Amino acid sequence: MKEFNIVLAGVGGQGILLAAEILGTAAVKEGLNVRVSEIHGMAQRGGAVVSNVRIGEKVLAPTVLEGQADVLLGFEPLETLRNLRFASEKTLVIMNTEAIPPTELSAKMMKYPSLEEIEKKIRHFTKRIIAVDAAKLAKEAGNILTENVVLIGVLAASERMPLKSESVLAALRELVPSKHLGVNVKAFNLGCECGKKGKIMF
Amino acid sequence: MPDLRVLLEDIPKKRVLLLGNEAIARGILEAGIGVMTTYPGTPASEIGDTVSEIAKDAGIYMEYSTNEIVATEVAGGAANSGVRALTAMKHVGLNVASDFVMTLAYTGVRAGLVIVTADDPECYSSQNEQDNRFYALLSNLPCLEPSNAQEAKDMTISAIEISEKLELPVLLRTTTRVSHTRGPLVYGKVMKPKLKGEFIKDVKRLVMVPANSRPKHSILLGILDKAKEISESSPHNKIAREAKDRQFGIISSSSAYNYTVEAADLLGLDAGILKLGMTYPLPEKMIGEFMKKHEKIVIVEELEPYLEMQVKAIAKDYAPDAEIYGKMGKQYFAREGELSTRLVATGLAEITGRKLPIDFGKIDENFAEVARSLPRRPPILCAGCPHRASMYVMRKVAGEKAVYSTDIGCYALGCAPPLGAGDILTCMGSSIGTAEGISKAISENTIAIIGDSTFFHAGIPGLVNAVYNDHKIVVAVLDNLTTAMTGHQPHPGTGMTGMHVSSNRILIENVAKGCGVKYVKVVDPFKVKESEAVLKEALARSDPSVIVFRAPCTLMVVRERRRKGAEIAVFRITDKCTNCMACVKLLGCPALVVEDGKVGINQVLCAACGLCAFVCPYNAIKCDTTD
Repeated sequence: MKEFNIVLAGVGGQGILLAAEILGTAAVKEGLNVRVSEIHGMAQRGGAVVSNVRIGEKVLAPTVLEGQADVLLGFEPLETLRNLRFASEKTLVIMNTEAIPPTELSAKMMKYPSLEEIEKKIRHFTKRIIAVDAAKLAKEAGNILTENVVLIGVLAASERMPLKSESVLAALRELVPSKHLGVNVKAFNLGCECGKKGKIMF
Repeated sequence: MPDLRVLLEDIPKKRVLLLGNEAIARGILEAGIGVMTTYPGTPASEIGDTVSEIAKDAGIYMEYSTNEIVATEVAGGAANSGVRALTAMKHVGLNVASDFVMTLAYTGVRAGLVIVTADDPECYSSQNEQDNRFYALLSNLPCLEPSNAQEAKDMTISAIEISEKLELPVLLRTTTRVSHTRGPLVYGKVMKPKLKGEFIKDVKRLVMVPANSRPKHSILLGILDKAKEISESSPHNKIAREAKDRQFGIISSSSAYNYTVEAADLLGLDAGILKLGMTYPLPEKMIGEFMKKHEKIVIVEELEPYLEMQVKAIAKDYAPDAEIYGKMGKQYFAREGELSTRLVATGLAEITGRKLPIDFGKIDENFAEVARSLPRRPPILCAGCPHRASMYVMRKVAGEKAVYSTDIGCYALGCAPPLGAGDILTCMGSSIGTAEGISKAISENTIAIIGDSTFFHAGIPGLVNAVYNDHKIVVAVLDNLTTAMTGHQPHPGTGMTGMHVSSNRILIENVAKGCGVKYVKVVDPFKVKESEAVLKEALARSDPSVIVFRAPCTLMVVRERRRKGAEIAVFRITDKCTNCMACVKLLGCPALVVEDGKVGINQVLCAACGLCAFVCPYNAIKCDTTD
């Protein structure tokens, strides 16, 4: 592996930074070099949030180059679109289908685009798409707030993922408060199952 | 970070993943620093927050000070009494501290003192993107610039050592991408901090009256010569890459260095790279020799041409014929915003006549198609935020014609529609003084909007001025009982300290009364009618007034409810709803969503503040538990 670039994109409050930290911690557990970029403060308040995880011996820069993402992990459909410039035909897009409509849409009485429209736009960049109803799986795990861990599970099960599932799980154990660990492990496993099926839902 | 106590482990060579700011906190432990002070500000906040969590166990003293100049004075006082100290702030915080810092360079320090300034290229969470390396040039204080987490820790220790060698404070300058990037880091040994020192009286050294200041200026310039020697032999200034081809030599520092190396690799460019970690004073000889070895010199740095200006001056003595490329004259690299591997590669490609291996133009073109139809998602006030209620009240009572002079904090987000309560904003505390000037110049109502932490930070002198000069303004203090934007740090109005000790709580209403304000009221913004009545009264007055809108930050409330496992009441839209959209149009709450032309409430986001139920003209929004 020369380098492996993951772009995580979603909305403030979805647990994107924790997801990125879990992946970064897993990389360190495997003795790899890694950079995890985060944005804090004002940018986080319900706005679009992006984090990058870059794994590889020569990696120095915290951000992924346009077109160079190996995985675009979209926590929300519109935010997945917003970060398509990091995708190319080699990119695997893992996308949560649960929409969080921006207030601008509500204020202007505009419609949230359909999943079909969104899929079409993604296909313009890459045909490798896994769509996941992470909200449903998170609820099944026992807490709607575990969507982020479901998505990491899907990624962990992907054949292209350079990190072992055990490392990711070990990082998860380290980073999630112990009283929520059970629910999170369940969410991770449900995500893994979904990823293993490799079900391309479109 | 799972458990910040991992940071306390004295296991040299242990490899962990740390945020740049957490790495500085670890550096504090390894440098034997005894006093750490801060005023929170993105991107510096996690330095203080991390130390606050571990201070007791580490045996060091930590405080959230009222503002940055006080934080620096506390740290400077400790350092001048023989205890190693560090103070951390965001870039604009150093403006606040600068009055003290400029003369602290004259008095110097006895024990090491590090002043961390975290700059914010791209204004991710700031009102400007000033380049604080110029403070080093202005004050003659040495400056170190890390490029990653490991260096952030190592340079914290180096900064203390240099500070003690020179008896001068040292600036440690990070950027958002250094402070907020996680990277692997190897621990060194923890040093037990010394908490007690000695204040050695020495009027000539420490009392900066003119007669003492004049000679101290010469002494400072003398120390600068010693600092240059340190810079020449500093391990932080080094040839990071030797080139076989002597055509191109690149000089870079901080985040820009990371992009430079990757961009050179992307282009297959064999260039020498001089990485500068100590950027004031610069290692002139080292830079001069590097220039002699290369025909063309490229300077890659973020923001201002700080290195470039100095390198060009050095070139005059060492390599007058060197061709120097950067951002002065022809701009190969942007002077505004943050750099990226793409921007650096594009500049380097142009300078070196190479072709970019990635067709960015094509990517942009494809993406433009997608971007065109994307609704924006800017940061907004959270669902249940009490500021929304306060600003709704203000707009309802004072209307569109009133001028809302706002301030730094979450409530600055209220400048956006539909609330539109924010007409002018510059810096911490500026709302009050600015409102006073506006009130003199116009006949409409003028309201200053300021947060609780910001009020203590820099609002009080403005309020005293309002009373003294009798300005007819209403000061609305939006008191959510925390410093919310930067991550919920305590402040004087919370009665908690950075050491997690409950302390003397200072009430804003008492401060206002103490300043001589005659009309001071405290309201709960969610009691909308009562708040409206109070604001009407205040606006009718001809003297300055203060209204404290007090309700805790909803994020704290929700977190507390979750921690307790308490049921969160749920609001829902009943069939009385006529889809008049009043709630959506008046409040802009992210929990109110319109699907298929119908209003709904997102049950995950809703914090049950009830404001939408209040504004609904048809009484169509109900709380399930009260139904």
